[in-house]
Amino acid sequence: MKYTNDNTILSSPLGVGGLSYDALVIGAGIAGGEAALNLANTGFKVLLVDKELSVGGKMIMLSKVFPTLDCSACITTPKVSEISRHPNITIFTGSEVGEIKKISDHEFTAKVTKHPRYVRVEDCTACQLCEKACPQNVRDQYQFGLIGRKAAFIPFSICSPKAAAIDIDNCTLCGACEKVCPTNCIDFTQEVEVLDLHVKTVVIATGFDMFDAKKLPRYGYGQYKNVITALQMERELAPTRPFNTILRPGDGKVPDKIAYVLCVGSRDASVGNPICSQICCMYSIKQAQLLMGALPMADVTIYYINIRSFGKGFEEFYQQAKGMGVNFVKGKIGRISEKEGGNLLLRYEDINEGKLQEAEHDMVILSTGVLPNTGIDKFFVNETLTLDPFSFVGQSDMLASPAKTSIEGVFVAGTATGPMDIPDSILSAGAASSEAISYLIQQA
Amino acid sequence: MKKKKIGVYICHCGGNISDYVDVEKVRQSVEGEDIVFLAKTTMFACSDTNQKDMVDDIKANNLDGVIVASCSPKLHQLTFRNVSIRADLNKYTYVHANIREQASWAHSDNKMGATEKAIHLVKAAIAKARYADALETNKIKATKAVAVIGAGVAGIKAAIALAEKDTEVILIEKAPEVGGRVAQWGSLFSTDETGRDMMKRLSSELSKYQNITLMTNTEVIENKGSVGNISLKVRTSNDIVTELNVGSVLMATGFDFYTPAEGEFGYATSDKVITLPEFKQMIDTQAGKLMRKGKEVKNIAYIYCVGSRQTDGENTYCSRNCCTSTIHAAVTAKQKFADINNYHFNRGLRTYGKQEILYADSLRSGDIYLQSYEDGLPTVITEGKKTIVKINDILTNGREIEVEADLVVLVTGMVPRSDNNTIGSLFKLPKGRDKFFNEVHMKLRPVETVIDGITIAGACQGPKNIAESVNSALSAATKSYSILSKGELETDPLVATIDPEKCTWCSACESACPFDAILKVEKDGKTIAEINNTVCKGCGMCAPVCDPDAVNLIACSSKEIMSMIDALV
Repeated sequence: MKYTNDNTILSSPLGVGGLSYDALVIGAGIAGGEAALNLANTGFKVLLVDKELSVGGKMIMLSKVFPTLDCSACITTPKVSEISRHPNITIFTGSEVGEIKKISDHEFTAKVTKHPRYVRVEDCTACQLCEKACPQNVRDQYQFGLIGRKAAFIPFSICSPKAAAIDIDNCTLCGACEKVCPTNCIDFTQEVEVLDLHVKTVVIATGFDMFDAKKLPRYGYGQYKNVITALQMERELAPTRPFNTILRPGDGKVPDKIAYVLCVGSRDASVGNPICSQICCMYSIKQAQLLMGALPMADVTIYYINIRSFGKGFEEFYQQAKGMGVNFVKGKIGRISEKEGGNLLLRYEDINEGKLQEAEHDMVILSTGVLPNTGIDKFFVNETLTLDPFSFVGQSDMLASPAKTSIEGVFVAGTATGPMDIPDSILSAGAASSEAISYLIQQA
Repeated sequence: MKKKKIGVYICHCGGNISDYVDVEKVRQSVEGEDIVFLAKTTMFACSDTNQKDMVDDIKANNLDGVIVASCSPKLHQLTFRNVSIRADLNKYTYVHANIREQASWAHSDNKMGATEKAIHLVKAAIAKARYADALETNKIKATKAVAVIGAGVAGIKAAIALAEKDTEVILIEKAPEVGGRVAQWGSLFSTDETGRDMMKRLSSELSKYQNITLMTNTEVIENKGSVGNISLKVRTSNDIVTELNVGSVLMATGFDFYTPAEGEFGYATSDKVITLPEFKQMIDTQAGKLMRKGKEVKNIAYIYCVGSRQTDGENTYCSRNCCTSTIHAAVTAKQKFADINNYHFNRGLRTYGKQEILYADSLRSGDIYLQSYEDGLPTVITEGKKTIVKINDILTNGREIEVEADLVVLVTGMVPRSDNNTIGSLFKLPKGRDKFFNEVHMKLRPVETVIDGITIAGACQGPKNIAESVNSALSAATKSYSILSKGELETDPLVATIDPEKCTWCSACESACPFDAILKVEKDGKTIAEINNTVCKGCGMCAPVCDPDAVNLIACSSKEIMSMIDALV
């Protein structure tokens, strides 16, 4: 395996004035991973960079996937493992790309900043003794804040590389972790490294961001404890779930009247995002089905504007949810208020009845939308990476060559171009890698 | 023979297995088996950490093989064979036991029974591991050429993508012209280029490549061989048959539009009722006033989901792209012709992603949307010369609303091509519930099929818009290229063998073989069967029909199977 701080970096192909690779793939989620594998399998050397501590992106965090209900971890980990072990792929996690410059045709330089993990990955056995010893408690970003973690921590159980990291911003440098580490792999002397790269082509697979539900105070997220986001519910439903059951965070009660609010931060010009996020209907229907399985007595209601079950097998999956007893109510939620005891009152326009209604639920899940990961265009210093009106990466020939961007030799994969589900991300990554492979072959 | 030492790993699969199967009990039940040197449980056997541990265990203890009891071998057999390779073991010493699909998921209502069955399955795997021999893979030369079937937007883009990668391409099209459906369209959503112009641009790009051979008016009539060495026979419309040799086949055969039944929403019974493709042609070819049968069209009623999302028909799926396509056509009509009023009788608009903007624009321009559920579809009524569309509109609290329409456009969805059965069975391609060609894995392998070397692209796999078809075409091209790029392929040695002593050439195996892998040969003055190793899939169809028991399957020998059965019962 080749990771940050791993000595294999030294044996990587050294170009003039730095490391050199055929392709730089930015983002190691499912799209970046697929693109990297396609390039690597056809003989090209790839550097795969991700700012997170693990590869696998958002998919590796999910519970099951629609409409197959495959366990997401089970189908992601082999892919992650294949990426990690591929002789043609070098991975930098905890690293950020900056300043990409086009020198000539088929020649880019890029700077990669590798943030110190303060752990020598190759020596760490993930024994978790440092976790136990660390006195600092912090909210766990990989469980979307549902539970805490330590400042010395393993990101999550199926992360890759499976190694501890020190969250230096929350570390008091007490040294407790260092003392208990049986392999002496904790190293506080690690510093930020900035590497100069030479690459021939770039694939942008920077993924998406989720809408911050706090920006819609009328839904009470962050204020009412029993209002959570769908991504948090993904964790509650995942096989590596934090509570080992479904519960509402306010008081630990197992909920029995659950509501889904769709289009939170999507199809909503008032929050600056007029487009549809394409995945929320389906992930909500999937979660509803999983909840019906986990809590057979619970009522699950989905409040929607339109159900968009448009993909292969999706409509049937929607009908299946109806058949299982999921309650679909056409109407947008206007406001949520909290009752004494933590239950929530949802006020909405019931389209079928044609009037305003109120409904009480004991837990509310906000199906938040997909937003662009901004800032990618700033990486390019001497060329302009054009964005679309919604700040996703622009497609210069959208119908005929969807992976092409405004810069020749720079291609885009997955949700960096707009909302899409997993198979569409895989197809888009296939297109981006096809373009990149052709670009590399034509240069040779 | 030295006693084998094997390691057994029993996976929790998060909770997918361990919620129903007592994995610790399984471990305890098998750890005493004579050849089992170590038995462990693991949270995720496929995780990086566990794979590393397995390699360490194999090396530290000089294990002769490993067994993982986890999910279906379709998911992870390859993963763990690769673990064996990394630990310097022959990959065929690895044996897989499926205790998820076959035990925990199948018997989630009976935990004791599921555990009991899992124990038997692991014991059967141990019995097999006793005899699992080291085997060598067969290496075959692969022809670096791809046949792309269908020259619509997906086929043409795939052909170009492959040609750019120095691969020979034979592009086969049944019709006299290339361009498929897209070449028939005028205005397209999200670009100023018409469908015609876009396909002209792509065809002229296509013609630049020396390594693309285009065969129009041509159909595939025969398919033989397997990945790396596929031999196709194609026939032109004037009956010339040519033989082609390729390494991979990329299917891009597209879709048909749904044809409404006579009388379905007035189709074929009323002059004013047409389909969406007909409407698109109409607005594309007319200018000035929009006319239908000599009468000016002002009020247009669009009836959505005709032939899609059927509750009483076969097409239960959503056709994905018709909502956007219809709104785009409606907006275009309104811009091109004066005084057009658009009435959309829909079942919930599905303008997903950025297409939402088009819907919002059309609302702003005054289009009227009327909606029903599946149990309250609109009706088309002819009263004298009037055609009226009626609906109980849920957006206005179920009120009955009537529109007198000059034109009714039936938004017909995409259906599998009528010739899918012919071409599909030629390549033994499985079809899904929706009758489109099926991919091997819906989430992560959307362009590969269960037939090695055959990839699927565009709308033959399911409804798609142009950009989505192109993405899938380029993905399929990448996969086809990736198979052939090294010029050499490794194939599994898990094939049938013939004992020449026992064989009497009764030809029963030849007729049973679905892959034409059995050859009739003369050996030492005797007529016997011989197996073509590159074509044989090791499916075993020949074994039970062989009367003198001359067929033996490598890695599934009678010895292995009988010992597995003993362990199971």
